[in-house]
Amino acid sequence: MIYFTEIQNLPTYDVMGSYLGRVTDLGIDPTQNALRVAVYFVEGPHKELIYVTREQMQSITVRSAQTSVTRAGIPSSKPFGDLLRVRKDVLDQQVIDVDHRKVVRVNDVDLEIQPTGGHTELRVLAVNVGLASAVRRLLQGLTAKHTSRRICSFIPSKTIRWEFVNLIEPDASRRLKLRISYERLARLHPADIADILEVLSRDEQRSVIESLDHETAAQAISEIPTEKQAQLLQSIPVEKAADIVDEMAPDEAADVLQELPPETSAKLLADMETAGAQEVKELLGFEEDTAGALMTTEYLALDRTATVESVVEAMKEFEGSVESIHSVYLIDDQETLLGAVPLARILLAPARTSLQELSREEVLSVRTETDAKVVIDQFRKYNLLSLPVVDDKQHLQGVVTADDVLDLVVNRR
Amino acid sequence: MDRNRLKTYRTRLLIFLAVVGPGIITANVDNDAGGIYTYSVAGARFGYSLLWTLIPITIALIVVQEMVARMGVVTGKGLADLIREEYGFRATFLLMICLLVADLGNTISNFAGLASGLSVFGLSRYIIVPLGAVIVWALVVKGTYEFVEKVFLVACVFYIAYPISSFLAHPSWSGAMFNTVKPSFQLDRSYLFMIIGLIGTTITPWMQFYLQSAVVEKGVKIKDWVYSRWDVIVGCIVTDVVAFFIIVACAATLYTSGHRDIRDAADAALALRPLAGHAASALFAFGLANASLFSACILPLATAYYVCEGLGLESGIDKRVDEAPTFYWLYTGLIVLGALAVVALREQMQVPIILLSQVLNGIMLPFVLIFMLRLSNREDLMGAHRNTRAFNAIAWVTCVVMIILTVLLIAAQFFQGMPA
Repeated sequence: MIYFTEIQNLPTYDVMGSYLGRVTDLGIDPTQNALRVAVYFVEGPHKELIYVTREQMQSITVRSAQTSVTRAGIPSSKPFGDLLRVRKDVLDQQVIDVDHRKVVRVNDVDLEIQPTGGHTELRVLAVNVGLASAVRRLLQGLTAKHTSRRICSFIPSKTIRWEFVNLIEPDASRRLKLRISYERLARLHPADIADILEVLSRDEQRSVIESLDHETAAQAISEIPTEKQAQLLQSIPVEKAADIVDEMAPDEAADVLQELPPETSAKLLADMETAGAQEVKELLGFEEDTAGALMTTEYLALDRTATVESVVEAMKEFEGSVESIHSVYLIDDQETLLGAVPLARILLAPARTSLQELSREEVLSVRTETDAKVVIDQFRKYNLLSLPVVDDKQHLQGVVTADDVLDLVVNRR
Repeated sequence: MDRNRLKTYRTRLLIFLAVVGPGIITANVDNDAGGIYTYSVAGARFGYSLLWTLIPITIALIVVQEMVARMGVVTGKGLADLIREEYGFRATFLLMICLLVADLGNTISNFAGLASGLSVFGLSRYIIVPLGAVIVWALVVKGTYEFVEKVFLVACVFYIAYPISSFLAHPSWSGAMFNTVKPSFQLDRSYLFMIIGLIGTTITPWMQFYLQSAVVEKGVKIKDWVYSRWDVIVGCIVTDVVAFFIIVACAATLYTSGHRDIRDAADAALALRPLAGHAASALFAFGLANASLFSACILPLATAYYVCEGLGLESGIDKRVDEAPTFYWLYTGLIVLGALAVVALREQMQVPIILLSQVLNGIMLPFVLIFMLRLSNREDLMGAHRNTRAFNAIAWVTCVVMIILTVLLIAAQFFQGMPA
């Protein structure tokens, strides 16, 4: 194994043994092979750059590199299009460590020397982020390479395998050409993605968000503070932002739209799907810190004649996220709130049972204008998971869920 | 004015207030114990005659601070981050070590300033310094960014103590104004060193790192940049207005009465008493204690920020202790060591550390300024917001002058030309 910082400045000779220059960078061509060094950037004695392709590299050691051709056989123009460059794009840059769900800075890159079909290839193994690599960077050029290797072998080293590294490339077109994807990142829990997003700079955040699918992006964005949500949404194109807001829970969406400048939120609403926009608009009408502003309009309400069977059907057709449902509400054709049945009770009842039988006599509810403090108190007093919100005619308007109340309580502290 | 216009003005004011903070806070921390001492000596020894230097100093300060704040807004990254990405690990590491040592020295001098400021009121340093350290520590570790920033902004208000005490000293306002706009020069060694000292205390390496990080943490958007710029400009002006009043207060009393040798800033406060009255003296000392405590808060915080940034570790007071351990340990360590040094070491033993910190500041400043200038000219980083040619000209001149003067200042300290 060899470290990039040992290859950096490596004297390079051609097949006749005459000096070519020093290695300054390594280029990887992701369209061919994302693990293999395709080009060696060699800087000659007069600062001129030459590009040694991988087939032309005869051998590499810690002391020197040697090509299999003469100087004349090496092109002085770049032989490939967009290259991922180890020093320029990876070394000292921030990358996402998907395995540990955090953002780290690269101290060094571990490579492997591999003899292949008559020449030597370098393969990228991992990025090095540990203390050992930091010390090696400090010693670089001050001691002999084997001395610094020996010193660093006593220090804990930390590496991330190249496959688990997510490079961050803010330039969208370049990202496409380099085939950088955030596939693994997208599989993390949205809360972890949110943590990662918060560490990144604005451009980097944008690049990550733009590459995630709408749903994942919406879930991740929902996990960061509303103020920062607004900043992020403003930095991405309106259409994409509208799609993301569309995927957010209506109450979350309303919160972030409130935070945005009026003209931006109007643009977003105009770009959203009509149904989603309508719900959000209704929520936007409520005063801050009231039950109306807290509630979501994604809830499951059935006619009072419904049975346990029909709940399963209704849940299959439910458009919002099923996980947020804790109770099924009973309404009449005027949408008057008549009862509430906890999901667990439905689960235990025979299929034909009518929901009205399972419903408690008195259902707790608050009015849309009820102060948020009262809502918190209700949740605490009755150990609620959700609480229906009604207007002055007892018509069901929405539901406040425990996670929103928890956010509110935590932020008030 | 019609209602719509009024509404836009109100919106603008609200945005300004949302963006304000980093610039004003950074600029005020600049008036720390060392700064106040320098201004006091300038007034006591040379009267009003050095006031004119404040105008070029303010311009230099604005130019440099504007540049880093702009970099923070445009790139969304801290200065240490950018230096690391462009100039590699070793340069960053060495810079961070120097800053760490320099800031430890600055922290010591601020705790010393706190102790001597309150000693005017007869309070013992053995109580004040540990208490101050605990307050400073708890404020940041237990507070959120918004809360801490509010406390800092309130601390900025207390700099009003200096204008008031200078009014109580009944200076000759016409003399002060005249000397502010009219440059004067004395070919006297100590006069020249005093000028260098005034400039040297104004632009320091750590401020650039702090300001950029604070702007980033605040999340200022590019389209609100114009407000952020005003935050920076107002901050720089306020700093030097405070400096103006300190110099005036000392000039009106100490210089006029011939009491021209003071040992520290608290000495200046004590000496004001028979000349300007108890109230002026008490306000002066209170101002010193406030400024010292304020800077003792921010310096360790700033240091923890940029060291973690540069080395790629998590930082930020919005993080929990277990999320950003190095950040909190650095912060705690600097405060504890700083306070311990003032409580445990005799004054003669503190002086070399403070001196070393000044020298390190001086050595680093050219690097930091040049890094800054080169970074803010990079098109791939700054895009349309990179320096204009005219701005570059002013900035380079500022940098070169700063660098020359700082080198002279360091030399002066070694040759004991002036106490700095």
